[in-house]
Amino acid sequence: MAAADPIPGLTSSSDRTGGSLLVLPAPMPAAELESLLARLSASFSPGSLVVATAEPVAPEAFPGLRMLSIPVAKPSVTLTAADFANAYQLAGKHDARAILMLGPEAGSLGHAALQSLANSVLSTPADLAIPYYRLPSTAGLVNSAILYPLTRALFASQVRYPLAIDLGLSLRMADRLARAAQRFSMLDPGEALLWPVNEAAVAGFSIDEVDVGPRALPQPIDPDINAVLAQITGSLFADIDLKAAFWQRARRLTLTRNPVRPTMAVEGAADTVSMIETFRLGYVNLQEIWSLVLPPNSLLGLKRLSVADAASFRMPENLWARIVFDFLLAYRLRSINRGHLLGALIPLYLAWVAGHLNVAASGEDPEGHVEAVASAFEAEKPYLVSRWRWPDRFNP
Amino acid sequence: MAHVVRTLAGFLALQAATQPATANISSIWRHMSAALYQSIDRVLSLLIAILPGILAFFVALVLFTFIGIVISAVLRRMLAMAKFDERIARSRGSAEWTPSSSPTALFARVSFWVFVFVGLVIGVSAFDTSYAAGTTLPISLLPYLTHIVGAVLLLIAGTLIARFLARSVLIGAVNAQLQYARFLSLGVKWLVLVLTAAMVLEHLELGGSIVDLAFGILFGGIVLTLALAVGLAVGLGSRDLVSRSLESHVERTGERGAPPANSPSSTPSETIRHF
Repeated sequence: MAAADPIPGLTSSSDRTGGSLLVLPAPMPAAELESLLARLSASFSPGSLVVATAEPVAPEAFPGLRMLSIPVAKPSVTLTAADFANAYQLAGKHDARAILMLGPEAGSLGHAALQSLANSVLSTPADLAIPYYRLPSTAGLVNSAILYPLTRALFASQVRYPLAIDLGLSLRMADRLARAAQRFSMLDPGEALLWPVNEAAVAGFSIDEVDVGPRALPQPIDPDINAVLAQITGSLFADIDLKAAFWQRARRLTLTRNPVRPTMAVEGAADTVSMIETFRLGYVNLQEIWSLVLPPNSLLGLKRLSVADAASFRMPENLWARIVFDFLLAYRLRSINRGHLLGALIPLYLAWVAGHLNVAASGEDPEGHVEAVASAFEAEKPYLVSRWRWPDRFNP
Repeated sequence: MAHVVRTLAGFLALQAATQPATANISSIWRHMSAALYQSIDRVLSLLIAILPGILAFFVALVLFTFIGIVISAVLRRMLAMAKFDERIARSRGSAEWTPSSSPTALFARVSFWVFVFVGLVIGVSAFDTSYAAGTTLPISLLPYLTHIVGAVLLLIAGTLIARFLARSVLIGAVNAQLQYARFLSLGVKWLVLVLTAAMVLEHLELGGSIVDLAFGILFGGIVLTLALAVGLAVGLGSRDLVSRSLESHVERTGERGAPPANSPSSTPSETIRHF
């Protein structure tokens, strides 16, 4: 993984090849955008950046930046297929050598983070620069529970935030993502998600993870976990289904991560009682649906968990790995309606979150717990591959 | 001697009395045989008259089923070659409504059943045409047959919708932490099933106003029960909410002492961010 060391020679690297860096900040308030632009113009040499934004900005305020006006995009907390398609189109039009895509609230990224992301795709052979955010243990939980372990186990990538909202892209990576975005032309591309790490892994492109420090992550307009989990997990499951031929082969991890880094300290205790209650309610009421998806062993594990004390409540890592794999298989096999399937996953996910927060509250490093979960996913991968290939043999 | 003469006279008298009876029995048998022969003749004539119709019905059904199988297999293969499932998955993303079969299987199955249905319709009309021998049977039965098919389709659709809605409500209610999730789900399921049953009976023209009345009573009963149950649950749940709200208000104004140690408001709670 690349360290977050700002490289002052970025401008010379850019000048050597004669290309520029296209920066695409997400729609954000005017004050935040101006702060970001000021930081960009201070971090990079004049003329090396092309900034494309929908917000009106006075060009004379930032003389070192070439400003482009683009149509207003649909607001989204993640990068969507439409963003990638537009980015590649703009890069080709303005002869950019690389692209830096910045998500909402990118104003919280520091100089060093911006430079490292850009430098990674401009002056190293990396095709995809992806940030490592330092977040508290109570943030990015869908990522810690499902996205990271699944991506690591199946695509052999140790990228901690596969759905990062800031990215550095080489031109060929942008091309690949734009092609992938075309698949969603029939759907609203302003809503469809792409998985850059999966695309890069399948294409054999190099990935560089850049430590960008703390970042304020935008939250969805509708903070309902049902909608978030259904959209994000459903999209990842669909992508995994599409790339089944790739990940069924055994692979080695492409990144060698540094030792586990501590997460940000959390003030106060998170309320796990309501999550445990939701799980118990689900255990009582959703047995019929879970039994269509999960094998008896997992149901037995859930039974034990349902009677566990709230203080010692913790979902075993291998049980969670098998549950996610079984739901992935049910998604593929359409054992039940996919909307119902992802809805039935929520109480189980909340049980994992409650266990994770208990781990953090007990003083254990939560990042170590996430790594243990990811290792369990890797260990259980043969189970997934077997059931994927011969689902009838393992019918629950 | 006189006894013998009397016995002989009696025997002769009996003979004279039974002779016309035997003649009558044979006459009845003749009439019955004639009637039976006529009946059998009529049945056989009828059978011969409708046999081409039955044959036409089965030929149409078998032929269209076979065509359906072939078309379904061809469609399945063509869609698989065109990677139709993948295209649909890409274009739909994670849409809300996703059938439990793959799009290819769904299209193949639908095409097969369309052909079977078309075969059935053509068979029935062929039967109708060949059986138009002046009897009133097709007039009374054939429209009813189509009603039965429609009723079966209604029943299947109603059952599927009931199951889908029941699951949706159950999952949504569990995720919303409603303790009466199962009850709510069952209520919705039976609402739809009762509605379906009423529609099916109405379609079959059975029961008349009794069905309307029974449906009204059942449907109203279920809705009332659900409303009462939900109202009670919300009322009981909001009692806690109100008492907690009052407690926190009292705590703020300093009219009461410290809240209990296990009160949720006593510990600062960190915001959980799933995304």
